[in-house]
Amino acid sequence: MPADVARQTAGRAARRQRNRRLRLGLLFISPWIVGFLVFTLYPFLATLYYSFTNYSIARSPTWVGLANYQGLMNDHLFWVSVWNTAYYTVLEVPFSTVVAIAFAMLLNMKVRGMAFYRTALYLPTVVPLVAGSVLWLWLFNPSFGIVNDALGLLHIPGPGWMFSAVWAKPTFVFMGVWAVGAPMVIYLAALQGVPQEMYEVADLEGAGPWQRTRHVTLPMISPAILFNVVLALVAAAQYFTQAFVMTQGGPDDATMFYSLYLYEQAFSYLHLGYASAMAWILFVIVVVITLLLFRFSNRWVYYANE
Amino acid sequence: MTVQPIPEIASTPIRSAAVPLQLPGRKKGRWFQRLWRQGLKHLVLLVMALLFIFPLFWMILTSLKPLPQAVTFPPTWVPHPVLWSNYPKAMASQPFGQYFYHTLVYCVTTVIGVLIASSLVAYGFSRIRWQGRDRVFFVMVATLLLPYIVTLIPLFVLYHHLGWVGSYKPLIVPTFLGSSVYSTFLLRQFFMTIPESLSEAARMDGAKELYIYSRIILPLSKPALAVVALFQFIYAWNDFLGPLIYLNKQSLYPLSLGLNEMLGTYSTNWSWLMAASTVATMPMIILFFLTQKTFIQGITLTGVKG
Repeated sequence: MPADVARQTAGRAARRQRNRRLRLGLLFISPWIVGFLVFTLYPFLATLYYSFTNYSIARSPTWVGLANYQGLMNDHLFWVSVWNTAYYTVLEVPFSTVVAIAFAMLLNMKVRGMAFYRTALYLPTVVPLVAGSVLWLWLFNPSFGIVNDALGLLHIPGPGWMFSAVWAKPTFVFMGVWAVGAPMVIYLAALQGVPQEMYEVADLEGAGPWQRTRHVTLPMISPAILFNVVLALVAAAQYFTQAFVMTQGGPDDATMFYSLYLYEQAFSYLHLGYASAMAWILFVIVVVITLLLFRFSNRWVYYANE
Repeated sequence: MTVQPIPEIASTPIRSAAVPLQLPGRKKGRWFQRLWRQGLKHLVLLVMALLFIFPLFWMILTSLKPLPQAVTFPPTWVPHPVLWSNYPKAMASQPFGQYFYHTLVYCVTTVIGVLIASSLVAYGFSRIRWQGRDRVFFVMVATLLLPYIVTLIPLFVLYHHLGWVGSYKPLIVPTFLGSSVYSTFLLRQFFMTIPESLSEAARMDGAKELYIYSRIILPLSKPALAVVALFQFIYAWNDFLGPLIYLNKQSLYPLSLGLNEMLGTYSTNWSWLMAASTVATMPMIILFFLTQKTFIQGITLTGVKG
């Protein structure tokens, strides 16, 4: 029957068209597919395998079962690094989030010359990490640093900053404020997306500044908050460069962060299996925290489009 | 943008009845209060801006001081005499010419890699409809949250066996295979905003997909390509961890490692250290001021809105 034949032909043409598009699409993304398989998926699985082996690159890995994980449980320095990283993360993520939002709100005010203020607050984010670390070593220098000099003017005795086991981690948190520009501009963009009418309605309802913030601003920028908090968590869990450059884990292992210890195990001692076990533990922790954040995000994240 | 209902505010008892309708700053007699408020805003912003710029200012001041003057306590402000010779001396203390050259090579080659690979992949994820596209895209975006530590060790082993450790290949080659997922993401977001009718019309005329990509989409995407190139350039300029792991000879170091090396050798010569930090930082600051528009575009591209 002609109608049937026509439908069949049309169906075949559509299928051919679909396959052609599939081939084309895969062709365009093929660089990433190769990269993903070689540089992400393979190493991701290989770390898991290495974590069950004794491996030092010179000889091929030998299976040791759970020995690396058991070793870690009894490794004092491992627990120190877990504690340091947790301490830093718990301090850093809320602090930087509050600061970034507060600064973004200040930069969202209607004031002349705002371009200058925005530029000034964003500028430090382009300073190379190592140069910034060297600079803060100098500013926080306990003997000659300008920070302790300024505190001295207020008759506050300055601490030893990163040379003090107590102050070292908070010092890194304070330092992080200087580079708060990256999340700050994301919050700023989110704030600019809040419809002005909502504030007018809030004003009509007699809402004060605090109520406007609590009931209009924060719910409206909550997707940006979730986004930034997840990124900040992942970054804090892997905090490395500043500690490597400035303190190398000292004083008294107070800044021996997780990645620093992992780096030491992997590249100073070539304990690749041991370090791989550390990597997988961190991966599981990060995944669990991220999933929990997303899982409970519907309680406080507000999506206007839904 | 449509007006969304204000979350929560409706259900919160606010003193709407008690407070007479009063819009802040609208009454005539309040100009003084308004002036005072504007002044206060400027004051807060100005103090913040100065605090954020001050470290850079202090870096330059220190770099021009004779060392004994730099390390006096309390610090003196004005360099006396202004010692420009700190710069050539600091530069001569390390092979900074080499460091610059390597950094530039690293920046330029990876910018090329990202522009080619990420744009191709982004095209496949946005301009062609194929089955399973959005699920694969989700996988790609999810890899953004994968801690780098998890893939670090097998990658090192892989590059070691390929004989790439001790060269820039581990840092450059992956960018040609779409390793810069963030760039791909940004480009995809931009490509999505280009009307589909443009591609359709070209396809009607028998244009091949590669032609549409190179002659229609890329020319229309210059602003987005500029953003991605800029971000990659800054990333490579500042990268520390990658070079630290794969470059084992000082003769190969980029600026970031070189500066860290200098910190190890001249840990108390703050004038020289600040001169070297200034030299490493200035290109980024100049680049920032030259490309401010592109930066702002990049922020809008991330598309994280309230």
